[in-house]
Amino acid sequence: MQVQTEIKTRNAAEIRCKLGLVLFLLLSFALIAAGLWGIDQYNESGFDQEAAYGYIHKLSGEVDSLYENGILPVMNGMDAGMKTAIEQRSRELLQDAWTSAAKEDRAAAVDTYLSAASDPAREQMELLSLTYSVAGPKVSSKEKKAMAAMTDAERADFRAQVLAGVADETAALPELAASAVEGEEGLDRAGKLMQLFLTSVNADSEPLTTDNVNGIKKAARSADARIAAYGMTADGSVSWVSQLVLSRSKTVILAGVVLLFDIILLFFLLKADNSWHMNIKWIVILAIVDFLVMFQVMPLVYLVIRAFFPEGSFTFEVFKRLYTYPMNLGALSNTLIAAAATMVLGTLLAFPLAWLVGRTNLYGKKFFRSLFVLTYMVPPYLGAMAWLRLLNPNVGTINVILRTLFGLSDAPGPLNIYSLGGMIWVLTTFYYPYAFITISRAMEKMDPSLEEASRVSGASPITTVFKITLPMMTPSLIAGALLVFVCAASCYGIPSIIGAPGKVHTVTTRIIEYNGIGAQGLSDATGLSVFLMLIAIVVLYISDFVIAKKQYITVSGKSTRPNIVDLGKWRVLLTALVGLFATIVILIPFATILTTSFKVDLGRSLLDPTNITLGHWQTIFTRSETLECLKNSLIFGAVTATVGIVIACTMSYLLQRTRIRGRKIPDFLITLGSGTPSVVIALGLIMTMKGDFGVNIYNTAYIMIIAYLIKYLMMGMRTVVSAMSQIHVSLEECSQISGASWTKTMFKITGPLIFPSIAAGWFLIFIPSFYELSMTALLYSNSTKTIGFQLYEYWTFTSQQQASAMAFGILIIVVAINFLLNKLTKGEFSI
Amino acid sequence: MSSVTIENVTKAFGSTVVLEKFDAVFENGEFITLLGPSGCGKTTMLRIVAGFEKPTAGTVRFDDRVVSSEKVFLPPEKRDIGMVFQSYAVWPHMTVYENVAYPLTIKKVDKAAIKQKVDRVLAAVHLSQYADRIPSQLSGGQQQRVALARALVAEPALLLLDEPLSNLDAKLRESMRFEIKEIQKEYGITVMYVTHDQTEAMAMSDRIVVINRGVIQQIGSPREIYTQPANPFVADFVGKIEFVEGIAKDGVIELNGCGQKLPYDGELKGEVIVGIRPEQITYAAEGEGELSGVVKTHFYLGDVDDCRIDLGGGAEVRVIADPFESRGVSAGKQVSLKVRNFHVFAKQEGEDFRKILT
Repeated sequence: MQVQTEIKTRNAAEIRCKLGLVLFLLLSFALIAAGLWGIDQYNESGFDQEAAYGYIHKLSGEVDSLYENGILPVMNGMDAGMKTAIEQRSRELLQDAWTSAAKEDRAAAVDTYLSAASDPAREQMELLSLTYSVAGPKVSSKEKKAMAAMTDAERADFRAQVLAGVADETAALPELAASAVEGEEGLDRAGKLMQLFLTSVNADSEPLTTDNVNGIKKAARSADARIAAYGMTADGSVSWVSQLVLSRSKTVILAGVVLLFDIILLFFLLKADNSWHMNIKWIVILAIVDFLVMFQVMPLVYLVIRAFFPEGSFTFEVFKRLYTYPMNLGALSNTLIAAAATMVLGTLLAFPLAWLVGRTNLYGKKFFRSLFVLTYMVPPYLGAMAWLRLLNPNVGTINVILRTLFGLSDAPGPLNIYSLGGMIWVLTTFYYPYAFITISRAMEKMDPSLEEASRVSGASPITTVFKITLPMMTPSLIAGALLVFVCAASCYGIPSIIGAPGKVHTVTTRIIEYNGIGAQGLSDATGLSVFLMLIAIVVLYISDFVIAKKQYITVSGKSTRPNIVDLGKWRVLLTALVGLFATIVILIPFATILTTSFKVDLGRSLLDPTNITLGHWQTIFTRSETLECLKNSLIFGAVTATVGIVIACTMSYLLQRTRIRGRKIPDFLITLGSGTPSVVIALGLIMTMKGDFGVNIYNTAYIMIIAYLIKYLMMGMRTVVSAMSQIHVSLEECSQISGASWTKTMFKITGPLIFPSIAAGWFLIFIPSFYELSMTALLYSNSTKTIGFQLYEYWTFTSQQQASAMAFGILIIVVAINFLLNKLTKGEFSI
Repeated sequence: MSSVTIENVTKAFGSTVVLEKFDAVFENGEFITLLGPSGCGKTTMLRIVAGFEKPTAGTVRFDDRVVSSEKVFLPPEKRDIGMVFQSYAVWPHMTVYENVAYPLTIKKVDKAAIKQKVDRVLAAVHLSQYADRIPSQLSGGQQQRVALARALVAEPALLLLDEPLSNLDAKLRESMRFEIKEIQKEYGITVMYVTHDQTEAMAMSDRIVVINRGVIQQIGSPREIYTQPANPFVADFVGKIEFVEGIAKDGVIELNGCGQKLPYDGELKGEVIVGIRPEQITYAAEGEGELSGVVKTHFYLGDVDDCRIDLGGGAEVRVIADPFESRGVSAGKQVSLKVRNFHVFAKQEGEDFRKILT
């Protein structure tokens, strides 16, 4: 009996669930159909922009209220004869306005139009006020001010007199109106008076909202379309539903397609689950997936399609053209060589450093560790700028010192930063921390007794490193190396600052150059992007799906303190070496940036007191443009990090605490996004977010925040996920058994436990978003410039000293926020 | 095979002293267990012997060879030892054979000899058929035996085992005890074994070193440790015991609170602590026992009856008796108790013996 009831309930739930699916399916079809209808309407209308329908809708409301509140009260105060005269005159004015707008006689058109109207008098006035707003006689700002200064009573008088003047040329006019129409007669005089009257209704501005009027002007460029728009506006035929569909038909289609996609996905999830029971978590997953599909997958797919179908049909033309051009081939080989060299050098540096800092009794280990991690938080272009100052073939500090030391002639050199080698050097100094951090983390996780077992087996510490530590670390080592490779291959900041003057092109610099030069340039940029994407996907596949499977699980249950290798007599020497490395790679460049920011003349030394100035610092702190950029960067960074960390926490919960089907889909997409080169993400967004696909966020802050999110979300997510995986679920269960609700448990137990990681995750998203350059260079608009881009502009076009001051300022901000979060999490926060 | 001499070894991490003046000699071929609660310093002692920790002071000698002192410090690889770690520390990137052969490979033994020795030790730990597996394909118990084989293969002078059985389930733990003991006998090796499990220590050891808070409490055979505990901590840590305070005078101990007396002809006078193990008490006919009291709680466990008896005035003893003998005993009943044996300790001023357990 009970079983039967259960089956019944289950069946009922299943039927409800399926019914819901079908309903939403129908809704999605309806949305798509409505959108298609909208596009059809639009194609017939002659408007240039769909948004015209939106302006029409908004204006029809304004025109109505103008008539009701402004025109009708004045008209009602007049006798019937005057009324008729005014109406007669208005019609003439309207016919004249339409005729001059269309440059042909439209008197008949006006008559035909108005004869079909239900309330011709009203519609005629509305049509006139609308037409005059778009293309009427000018009212000077002096006249507007004078009208605005009137009291209500004066204005009522003024209006009545001016309106009377429209119908009757002989009527007495107020002084203001009289001087306005002085020397004019006939329709011109009446038109000017009518415009004065209309303006006086809303004297301190235009009678209708300027933005909306301009919208119509822009959208309906042809006279016919514009007149059609007047008509639609005046008779108010655009209901809000059709306005929505008409003005946003592509967005409506997009919504329908997304909904359809969701339903299909949901159907498969439900089917696989075989419970046919709707789970709220799926809505969350679908929301994240929708976001990523729309802003990440779709642009990337479009990019590939665009590269192979530049004119709508399949062709290899783009690639042929691109890859037979020597400069591009050079850029390709430069990119591959630079990335490979950086990977090898970076890993070769990172492993011994990680080992020395993590596993030996090196002096000042903690200091060195934070120093190396600090580099990770510094924008790479900062390094490029510093090394440019140090290794410029003519005036570079190191070159000057080397020439003096070895008595070389004053010829340029011996070192030249403007070369592939120079670029590799700077890339290495700025990307080895990626490998360092990956390897350090793996080393920390490794059970120390694995190494101890080797020692008691008779192996010396060095043998142990090569026979046990290194082989065990191989997967992490490869993962770190690949990370360096991808970062170096898709870096824009360093090649743009070093490569451009040295004519060392890379794929990223070529993409950004191509993007600036028209439609063919855009196609070429996509072609190069496909190359970068290919690299990234191969690397991502190897590191995430091949190596990850080989990752040895070496996390010990009870961890003892890691086995610290006594370096013995080598301790001092190795500390000195690491110190030397840190000095060359970190301290000298930072110091260079700092000293450059105080120099009057780049060529002279700071030892000369006349060469010291605080002027550059003053400039950057007082220039409103710089402050505006800083504000933008802080806001974009904070918004990206906050949205990102919310998604990260949600995903961590789904991944770590639920077994809900489909939770890996957003995880996969987020990983894919972070592996995609920045310029490729930006290019994809530019090409698809201009409104052609129903979303228009081009030139806005949204497009930048979305780009940052796609690129940096994973860093935050991984941090929170790993923190949550370390908190045993029993801690939460225990809280719930103690009587706390799920929400309370999250806030009282899980939240506080993973808070340091949440802070770290926030920071890891914030920092790169804050100083981002590669994507910003493609996505910025005048109102959304960021500090990173401003700095780049200053360096390239204005003053290296001011750029240096700004760069050091960024460094201070990054370190300050790091410090703040450290305090906030009581020192538990670490990257 | 070698003996281990530990002289005055002290170890401090910063200001925390974890081992204090550790003094012990382990004979050749002996199975020694370091027993104590977690955090007592037993693992630190083992790691000092292994060479992973440098003692702050003191000397460690293997036979006559000084391996650790103020002047000399031999790193682990030069000490000729085998060690089994709590986490097994079996290398995941090598097969079972490679893991076990590693110590010989390091010593550059020729291949044929390696094969022969590895085969022998794998047979000894019953893993011959798993030689080509990788560790992730093995169960916890099998991995543990790989670690054991690896520690034994080079026939070291000394075998160190750091809680090797604590990650195994109860049944496997019991059978491994005997296997380790068998292998030790076969190889005739000196073994230093660290555990917090007193049953394990009792079952396997020739001698047990009981440690608490970094200080040796007692060294002795399992029988000595159990029957003649040096202090209340040892008595409490090894086996079950109940303590009652009392005053020794005139051939008796008068128990505090209840005023009942136990006959005593030992040397201690004044305030003492009396420890009575539950199995040392039997029920007696009324008026025949030394003690009497009221049954406070009574648990019937099938093979035994486990009762707490209130002697009055807060003094309590526990009796674990054959249910056949304790027929008729139930909560609330007045019983007479015969005490076959008990331990008497001097009361240390200012120290609560019940809180010695860390």
